[in-house]
Amino acid sequence: MAQAVIIAEELTYHYGDLTAVNQVSFSVAEGEILGFLGPNGAGKSTTVKMLTGQLQPKGGRAIVLGQDVARRAKRVQAEIGVCFEITNLYEQMSGADNLKLFARLFGVRDFDVDALLKRVGLDGRGQDRVETYSKGMKQRLMVARALVNRPRILFLDEPTEGLDPASAQAIRSVILEERARGATVFLTTHDMVEADKLSDRVAFIDRGEIVALDTPRKLKQQYGKRLLHAEVELPDGRLVLRQVVLDQVDTSQAMARLFSEERVITIHSEEATLEDIFIQITGRGLT
Amino acid sequence: MINGRLIRTLVVKDVTLIFKNRFFAFITVFGLVAYVAIYFLLPRSLNDTLALGLYAPAVPDVLRERLSGDGLDLTLVDSDAALQAGVLAGDYPVGIALPADMLAQVQAGAKPQAQLYLTAELPPELKEAYTVLLEEIAFLVSGQVLTIEATETILGPDLAGRQIAPRDRMLPLLAVIVLLMETLALASLISSEIEGRTLQALLVTPMRVQDLFVSKGLVGVGLAFGQAMLILIITGGLSRAPVVLAAALLLGALLTTGIGFMLASVARDMMSVMAWGVVTLIVLIIPALMVLLPGLATTWIRLIPSYYLVDTVHRALNFGAGWGAVWQNLLVLLATAVAFFWLGMAALRRKFQ
Repeated sequence: MAQAVIIAEELTYHYGDLTAVNQVSFSVAEGEILGFLGPNGAGKSTTVKMLTGQLQPKGGRAIVLGQDVARRAKRVQAEIGVCFEITNLYEQMSGADNLKLFARLFGVRDFDVDALLKRVGLDGRGQDRVETYSKGMKQRLMVARALVNRPRILFLDEPTEGLDPASAQAIRSVILEERARGATVFLTTHDMVEADKLSDRVAFIDRGEIVALDTPRKLKQQYGKRLLHAEVELPDGRLVLRQVVLDQVDTSQAMARLFSEERVITIHSEEATLEDIFIQITGRGLT
Repeated sequence: MINGRLIRTLVVKDVTLIFKNRFFAFITVFGLVAYVAIYFLLPRSLNDTLALGLYAPAVPDVLRERLSGDGLDLTLVDSDAALQAGVLAGDYPVGIALPADMLAQVQAGAKPQAQLYLTAELPPELKEAYTVLLEEIAFLVSGQVLTIEATETILGPDLAGRQIAPRDRMLPLLAVIVLLMETLALASLISSEIEGRTLQALLVTPMRVQDLFVSKGLVGVGLAFGQAMLILIITGGLSRAPVVLAAALLLGALLTTGIGFMLASVARDMMSVMAWGVVTLIVLIIPALMVLLPGLATTWIRLIPSYYLVDTVHRALNFGAGWGAVWQNLLVLLATAVAFFWLGMAALRRKFQ
């Protein structure tokens, strides 16, 4: 088991009377991608802010890279990269200048801005002002900025929300490359499909509390039902659907009956999505 | 511990961004040119001569000699109509017509009627001065002498013959405007960084909040102080008491930077920075108007922090005042500058959180 680089111990935060995060505890291992899922207002961003030293927890503590974030925020921030949910770039500066600025702030020597721009698909546009970029290009630049210090942990807050497929795919590729490099990725999203594709484990947060945390596969096994849908033709020529629940004691007998007693036209399997599971656990959807 | 590398990086970034903002880049460059131009277009000396037209058919020679002294530009005309025409033509702002039989009337114990012609634009205080002058002429014509002997004693610097030129009276006002305009640029930059959330991105780097304040302070003070000094150098204002002036402007720049921090903490964008900034500017230039129009001076003006800047700059620029004359001003200015800078930082820190 890899060493835990993020440890949340009963993290709590409230805005006035509203409890945004309520005694949340979890850990993330080095090199792992954790998908942090939940609807808007569930407490995702507040948790990220406490983990990255932007907010002081009202209760509990956050240990990142062995340091108590509340006490050693700057030491932690030197080793992490943060990509925010809302675009916050210097729009009047060029893309390259934005990256160079942050490289200098992190004290990165021999910073290769062109290589980083190329990694996120912005080669050739580095000298243009950011205000001329499309939303997808700005988001890719945001991800690039989070990478300037080769962070050990990458915090990505809704990095692909509202992006065109090409930009979203470029960012997903970067996330997987970072994991391959050995970085840990804390991915906040409410895109369940993306989380399923990328995450080693996912955590569901709802109303400030973690309601489930495991690998997508185990969550599906635990909460979801795998189904087999078959389209069969009746003697009078009508088409009807038949459903067989998989992984049951009598599944093989049900399958045998289906194929021996009916004329199967099409057949395909279906497994529960993370969204189905989230709805099953919380009783509400992600939006 | 302040990190020099981070400070340098942030200062370069801020100066770059200020000059990428076309409005403030224009204001900075245009302002510098315009203020210098205004200075050199204003008169370099003060004309304090009273011009007067006089129609006096029976003016004795002795009166002419007495009236043609320093400070009075006398024009004698041949008729009452010519006198009125001269006033209307602007040859002299006031015309005095004395009756032809004035002496005879005086000798007979009557009260002769003198006519004073003046235009509607004449300021009331000048009208008063000309009325007094008429009375003086009446005394001279009647051959009487005032029974009071007046002796002049000049308190403070004697400005006889070297009155402060309008352009030099204007310099303290220009200095305050320059300081505040550069501060508005800084306030606008900070405000846009807060609203654009770029500060949030900076604050998750090794940069500390104190690095941010130091860099913003350096940019604000540096730009304001630099431009104010540049104007004084170009206008030759630094030729007298340069160290006192530099100290006053430096403290003034610190004061206005603190005010800039406060503006940034209440404003949401460049327009609201400008709106708040204009209100602030009006308050801060009131003491400078006092230098332009000395009659406005009142005690409450000392409650405005810029008074101590303006008064010091005025006295150092125009009278060559040294440390001994202005140290109390500088002390108050230092205290208010530090207080405003600290309050500005506190307001901004609250906004960051």
